[in-house]
Amino acid sequence: MLVLALAFNPFVDPFPGAPENIAALLWAIIALPLAGAFLCGVLGRFMGRANTNFVACATVAGSFLLSVCAVWAVGSQATQYTSPASGAPVRWALWLDLGRWFAAGDFSVHYGLTVDRLTAAILLVVTGIGFLIHLYSTEYMEHDEGYWRYFAYLNLFVAMMLTLVLADNLVLLFVGWEGVGLCSYLLIGFWYQDTEKAWAGRKAFIANRIGDFAFIIGMILLVLLLGATEKMGRETALGRTNFTDIGRARAWLTSLHDQGPLNVEVLREWATRIPPEGPRTRSGMNLSTTISTEGPLQGKTFGHVLTAALLLMLLGAAGKSAQIPLYVWLPDAMAGPTPVSALIHAATMVTAGVYLFCRLSFLLVLSPTAMAWVAMIGALTAVWAALIAFAQDDIKKVLAYSTVSQLGFMFIAVGTGVFWAAALHLVTHACFKACLFLGAGSVMHGNGDETDVYKLGGLRKEMPWTWATFGIATLAITGIVPLSGFFSKDAILHGAHGTELHGIPWVGHTVYWIGLFGALCTAFYMTRLYVLTFEGKRAADARVPHAHESGFRMVFVLVFLAFLSVVGVIWGLPDAFPGPAGEKVALMEGYLAPAMILADREASLYETVKHLHDAGIPWGAYILAWAVAVVGGAAAWLVYRSWLPSRGGKPLPAPIALFWRWARHKFYVDEVYDLLIIRPFTLLSKGLYKVVDGGIIDGVGVGGTALVLKRAGAWLRYTQTGNAQNYATVMAVALLVSIGVVLTWVLL
Amino acid sequence: MEGITLQHYLFLAALLFSLGVFGVLVRRNALVVFMCVELMLNASNLTFLAFARDSGMDVGHLPALFVIAVAAAEAAIGLAVIIAVFRSRGTVNVDDIRTMRL
Repeated sequence: MLVLALAFNPFVDPFPGAPENIAALLWAIIALPLAGAFLCGVLGRFMGRANTNFVACATVAGSFLLSVCAVWAVGSQATQYTSPASGAPVRWALWLDLGRWFAAGDFSVHYGLTVDRLTAAILLVVTGIGFLIHLYSTEYMEHDEGYWRYFAYLNLFVAMMLTLVLADNLVLLFVGWEGVGLCSYLLIGFWYQDTEKAWAGRKAFIANRIGDFAFIIGMILLVLLLGATEKMGRETALGRTNFTDIGRARAWLTSLHDQGPLNVEVLREWATRIPPEGPRTRSGMNLSTTISTEGPLQGKTFGHVLTAALLLMLLGAAGKSAQIPLYVWLPDAMAGPTPVSALIHAATMVTAGVYLFCRLSFLLVLSPTAMAWVAMIGALTAVWAALIAFAQDDIKKVLAYSTVSQLGFMFIAVGTGVFWAAALHLVTHACFKACLFLGAGSVMHGNGDETDVYKLGGLRKEMPWTWATFGIATLAITGIVPLSGFFSKDAILHGAHGTELHGIPWVGHTVYWIGLFGALCTAFYMTRLYVLTFEGKRAADARVPHAHESGFRMVFVLVFLAFLSVVGVIWGLPDAFPGPAGEKVALMEGYLAPAMILADREASLYETVKHLHDAGIPWGAYILAWAVAVVGGAAAWLVYRSWLPSRGGKPLPAPIALFWRWARHKFYVDEVYDLLIIRPFTLLSKGLYKVVDGGIIDGVGVGGTALVLKRAGAWLRYTQTGNAQNYATVMAVALLVSIGVVLTWVLL
Repeated sequence: MEGITLQHYLFLAALLFSLGVFGVLVRRNALVVFMCVELMLNASNLTFLAFARDSGMDVGHLPALFVIAVAAAEAAIGLAVIIAVFRSRGTVNVDDIRTMRL
């Protein structure tokens, strides 16, 4: 913990070692869990349970230690590298280029890894919480035969997530992006003998694939966009005057071909070149310039193409991060083992979309339209999922919808340009949501895998450690003052409230109020979940008469995560630490400032995103947010502790009952998707199968050929008599005819 | 002798060859078929010799001698085959000896 606090504090002593040595070892952060996955997967069955547990935990722990070193290193300004795209130094960051992966024509991709302040925060979450969940899993999976498969997948997941986080270009990031999707699929369907669970895995994979496809198209648009920039710069001879510094321009063109257009540094340098509107550039090229080069983009403006690319990436992020319209897979993903839900479907993988937008923050702030979409999608998802969570009885389903909802909050932050708040909420959410999920796992472990909250109840006495940690995490997510969730959520809401997107000023206020309502809902359904699970009397139809508390390894992890949920508050305390410009900011804001510097500069220079900050701490907003949390929680407490029991089984008032039924059925979204998309698609597939495959290919193609040959053979069979004289006759006649033909030919 | 020209020889050879072919195709007795093959060979011999005589090139005799040698060898083997077939099947009728089709 000391290490964590130090690592997040940019003002501690500089890293004692040489940063280059750490940079040279970045590959090992990924390679360790990858090797662990190999060992567990190939040899796990022969190594035995204890050895497999050891290998799986040790590799992630090693990865964590290396990450801590890397994070420590980027805590100091002395850690810097020369940007390949501009030749300027990039401070507070490490970079390792492992050479070219592939090149196709002008397009090139490197194996490049980088750690900046943003990566650092996520890196600690992935490896740190990843390690804790591995440790927890060793006990949780102690009765499962497939332990070696489980740990192989889990290690592979960590390796893939680290690839996603460390990649310095979007193509390598996409490898991780797909890899975590694969591991998610494998782990959701871990108990594949159960058809329903196997289908849940498939659903997750397909929903993710839809998003990934959009992501690919978005990347292609970016490649075309940078290509068009280069060509237009050359054709109009503005490429040189465009850049005040010719050397820098050359460096960009060189790196565009060497590192490839999807390298983040190359994109960053591109973003500095393309202002939204005219006067500030000497080149005349800006986002409203029409693209004149031949190709699919001809006639569109740079800005439109950029917005399209970002919106496609939003769809990709919506798939991975379970936002509207692709969120439906996440609740079903709870079919997997609970630690998997905690690691993949709460703490790390589902935040990949948020991470992507933080990574590309400098592109996002160039397009207020895209930002508005991100914010609105996030806000709607936050409320929508929270409302569904009201009426779910499965403890893991409630937490799943809660995750969807919290991810919506992060999208709000991203969409309103408070990227540091998104990252802060990502980190704190990872702590308390992992704690909640693992708490739910502990509850299931001690109650014969019971997940229905109405069949639990009264666990407070029977599982004191689980109760205490779950309670703390509930308070944290609800947003009670001294816990981390309050400040991270409020950083988002406060940031959104004070944000004006250029041309769309109403978005900030709108998402603020929607978000506040979402916070109210969060407090309600989380308190409901807590009350039904831990308070009251033990349910009469409980699966086991007495629950048992989990063992040391599980409890230790729970306590540690609860502890993090509390102390995480230090990262979000407003105006507590000096920022880059000397003003007082939250620790996380100051910490991430170097990574967000370009986005902030663009936002203020081009006025695409205006942050209207009042000086000082916004006490009014805080009291409102706190009141909202308390009211929501108290309402749930009253409803489930006194109002509902006092009614004694009388039916609910009609409007509430109606809402309850709809929420219980998830507002029939799955059914609507089934009707609108899946049914027609299945019908089309069936039609194609019957007509094209069955009729044309199988019938006419394969069957037809066979039929013709069969008929021809039946007729020709009569000529095979076996009589040598018949054959000789045919030969003689044929010879005569040939001679006749030739003679006729010659003579005539 | 004066009236007999190359054309006469060739005509005779063609006649003999056609007889041979006809015999090979229609006769059922293997021995007769065999004799008809000999007839065709000799018809071709006659052609060679006629041309050799007409052109005065003695080298034209060579193929004829060669064919006679081959025919002798063929007669030896062919008759042996026919006898063997007769011994094993009791007939030399080619309609009854159909081993090229099951």
